[in-house]
Amino acid sequence: MARVVAGFNVPHTPYLPVTVPKGDTLNGGLFEQTRELLEASRPDAVVIFDDDHVNTFFLDNLPTFAVGFADAMSGPNDEAPLPTREVPIHADLGRAIYTHGIRSGFDLARTEKLTVDHSIMVPLHFLMPEKLVPVVPFFINCLVPPFPSAGRAHAVGKMVGEAVEAFPEDLRVAVIASGSINHEVAGPRVLPGEIWNAPDPGWLEEVVAWLEAGQVEEIVEHATDERLDAVGNVAHELLTIIAMLGAIGDQPLRIVGKDTRLGHCFTAWSADA
Amino acid sequence: MSVYVVQEVAYRSLHDLDFRARLLEAPADALAGEALEPAERDALLAGDIATLHEMGAHEFLLAHFARVGAFGLDPPTFSERIRASTRPMSSDF
Repeated sequence: MARVVAGFNVPHTPYLPVTVPKGDTLNGGLFEQTRELLEASRPDAVVIFDDDHVNTFFLDNLPTFAVGFADAMSGPNDEAPLPTREVPIHADLGRAIYTHGIRSGFDLARTEKLTVDHSIMVPLHFLMPEKLVPVVPFFINCLVPPFPSAGRAHAVGKMVGEAVEAFPEDLRVAVIASGSINHEVAGPRVLPGEIWNAPDPGWLEEVVAWLEAGQVEEIVEHATDERLDAVGNVAHELLTIIAMLGAIGDQPLRIVGKDTRLGHCFTAWSADA
Repeated sequence: MSVYVVQEVAYRSLHDLDFRARLLEAPADALAGEALEPAERDALLAGDIATLHEMGAHEFLLAHFARVGAFGLDPPTFSERIRASTRPMSSDF
């Protein structure tokens, strides 16, 4: 039977593949530490909870939750500054998650032909720079309101964990959440002359403390639309982390590190630790 | 106005390279066949990001114009104009 053996959260800021080689040692080091932890978990497959930035999907047909299970996907499809790669998908696991979700009362969408944007390709760029483990992309709408609630995101993550545990093959599965916590991109609260901001540093500190303590109920309770709207227009990306927590059984996370300037953190959990 | 077409124009400015080329070469001509309301067309051609955002267009999609250099926009200009939007951030639909 398959097992969820590790969980991680990393940012996907599209310029990190440019700024890290130019001297962003903070994020470069944190990605490197996280990469080592991911490798140590020896995953056979990786589920990524991701928020597409209206690139894989558009407003003509925008899912709240969707699973991808083509044989492969390529990206980035949004001209983010990093090399284009073909990424293998663990289609059997993706199909199993989709089926388990539908049968468990989650009306998921599916895509069997897809390209993906920087929100998946930046984490893979740093965490699997050479050999790519087959991935299952699980999309959560975090950017185009209305959003699923934090409770719903947690429940869908828990369902994904159950689907993995019910998968008949002997697979080690890692789960990665992709997103920032305190961030505004291209919205009215950006810094003068910039297209980003990290408007509410206190929120990052609160969330990191809850993650480290394993206080998932606190996060779910506080991550309301009203609170996240007040933080920034990307703050609902926290839903990817909440889903990851559901998938790993609400474990306390190791805080690998954080970047208070950009408003994100790197976290890790391993079943073997 | 649903601003759907505005957002579709923004999406295509990034993802449809032929459309992008026409948009950069002759913006008004590129938009001529699009089912835009007059106010939407005027705001697009003026690069009036604040008005487009206040009409309901998503800022992530509007930002494509700055990335590809459409309607005289670049990131600093986009920044100045989106900061002028009075639309409150809200998860209400």
